[in-house]
Amino acid sequence: MKTWIKIVSGLFLTGIIAAILVYFFVYNKPHPDFEKMDAAYTLTAEDFYKTYVTNKAEAGNKYNGKVIAVTGKLTKTETSDSLTVCVFVFNNGMFGDEGLRCTMLPGYGDQVRKLQPGSEVNLKGFCTGFNDTDVVLDKCSIVKK
Amino acid sequence: MKKLIILIGCMLFLSFTVSAQKFITKTGHIKFFSESPLEKIEAHNRQVNAALDVATGDFVFKVLLKSFEFEKALMQEHFNENYVESDKFPNATFMGKVINIKDVNIGKDGVYDVVVEGKLTIHGVTQQISQKGSFEVKQGKIAVKAKFSILLSDYGIKIPAAVANNISKSVETSIDANLDLFNQTSR
Repeated sequence: MKTWIKIVSGLFLTGIIAAILVYFFVYNKPHPDFEKMDAAYTLTAEDFYKTYVTNKAEAGNKYNGKVIAVTGKLTKTETSDSLTVCVFVFNNGMFGDEGLRCTMLPGYGDQVRKLQPGSEVNLKGFCTGFNDTDVVLDKCSIVKK
Repeated sequence: MKKLIILIGCMLFLSFTVSAQKFITKTGHIKFFSESPLEKIEAHNRQVNAALDVATGDFVFKVLLKSFEFEKALMQEHFNENYVESDKFPNATFMGKVINIKDVNIGKDGVYDVVVEGKLTIHGVTQQISQKGSFEVKQGKIAVKAKFSILLSDYGIKIPAAVANNISKSVETSIDANLDLFNQTSR
């Protein structure tokens, strides 16, 4: 086989392999598994909420987009369509109860709905920010002590 | 004594009337969809705050941009980092009025066409908008529905030339929010 054919074939093959790798590992890469990720910060639910109320920008820079673990006494759970939300209330405002809202991963729905108000819970989840009424943690899971 | 009882009665009635004017949700749903020759992009946010005062027509939406979920992780990353820059601008908000709120009878079940006007802020840029939608009143609750198009360039969202063919210049936005009566006395 001529050398140039070998080179062209090699480049072609490398290109195809690179395209397959990019497709599976970059374009189709999976979403982060927040349940398995370590928390960047651990604090009480109330301190976490108050940090945002005191200085929204500073708290946002520190916590938004990170996995946060919180502990606190649960005020209530809410269920809406497919979502189960653990709610910690610390204030009242134009949208009613204000505080920390933790949207649970689907696998935790049944477990969370059995929790009684006032239960001490440990959760971690992905912090999406503060909407001027609530701090929101998404993809939450229960942290076992 | 009689006057005092009447006064207290009036105050209780007024406080009930005031609390009965506001409807809220914290689990509203916003979907956006864009289609280009190469790719369809769809994202959902099911944690949208919305409040409506049926006495004044005041209407507010607050949306955390990091709460949008995409099918592909890479799209979600690009949306947050390159387009809406959610670290810098974490919220999108709408503050406005339902200009024909008087046409909506909260006491009567039915579907009412509404027109909403106000300021929409995305990516730190505020635009005056006017959109049509509907309120479905059913058993004292209001289901808000609207569908409209957002032109990305209106909000300073730039599409890199390398992916210009993959991303539509406008996104179709659907709002679906079930508002419950905000009963202050229940808290």
